[in-house]
Amino acid sequence: MVEPKTQPPVERPPSAETFLPLSRVRTIMKSSMDTGLITNEVLFLMTKCTELFVRHLAGAAYTEAFRQQPGETLKYEHLSQLVNKSKNLEFLLQIVPEKIRVHEFKEMLRLNRSAGSDDDDESESGSESDE
Amino acid sequence: MVERIEDLNLPNAVIARLIKESLPESASVSKEARAAIARAASVFAIFVTSSSTALAHKQNHKTITAKDILQTLTELDFESFVPSLMQDLEVYRKMVKDKKESKASKKDSSVAENANASATAAAEEAAE
Repeated sequence: MVEPKTQPPVERPPSAETFLPLSRVRTIMKSSMDTGLITNEVLFLMTKCTELFVRHLAGAAYTEAFRQQPGETLKYEHLSQLVNKSKNLEFLLQIVPEKIRVHEFKEMLRLNRSAGSDDDDESESGSESDE
Repeated sequence: MVERIEDLNLPNAVIARLIKESLPESASVSKEARAAIARAASVFAIFVTSSSTALAHKQNHKTITAKDILQTLTELDFESFVPSLMQDLEVYRKMVKDKKESKASKKDSSVAENANASATAAAEEAAE
């Protein structure tokens, strides 16, 4: 697996302004926390870091996708590919799963086979189920 | 608490804007990709929150602090976020402090003598 380059965060001046609505981030945080109290400072930090994450995810997927092939539209596949490759995005594997097409599945099997794997009789039955 | 699952979605327009800002100008984003990023962001927030909560509990704290979040980010392999978040936090803390001070000074000017008197009293108390 190729280790993705660590993406430097998009340059931007530090600021106390947030783009995302704090109330929504609070709701999201409460949905996971067993204790109720969330200080304003923590809420601010969480909002900022979620924003940073959005920038990071988009930027990294874009850089990763268009290093090999030209193109300008960031697609779902680019995201799922990045998620699949990046250790720190492992928590998203179920959230942004890789879609697999029949021909890709066959290609995968072919590669597996040439890499020395021997079970290839599932190629027909397994490949139909996905699309 | 959360009544509808949509309450966990982040606003589309803001997400679109954040994405746009982090890509070159000529780039565009498919609808599906944008939806996936928005979903991922919500899950990220939940993930970091619950990890920070676990960290706080481990230290016998009931609620999470800014420090818990920053430490969690490092542990989750997002340490590249930490420096700029620390800068943001600094700006935020200064803003909160300034707000407090300007509020206090407003109060001071209206009841200047009272405030002064109590401040002196407090100082004396502290000295003892």
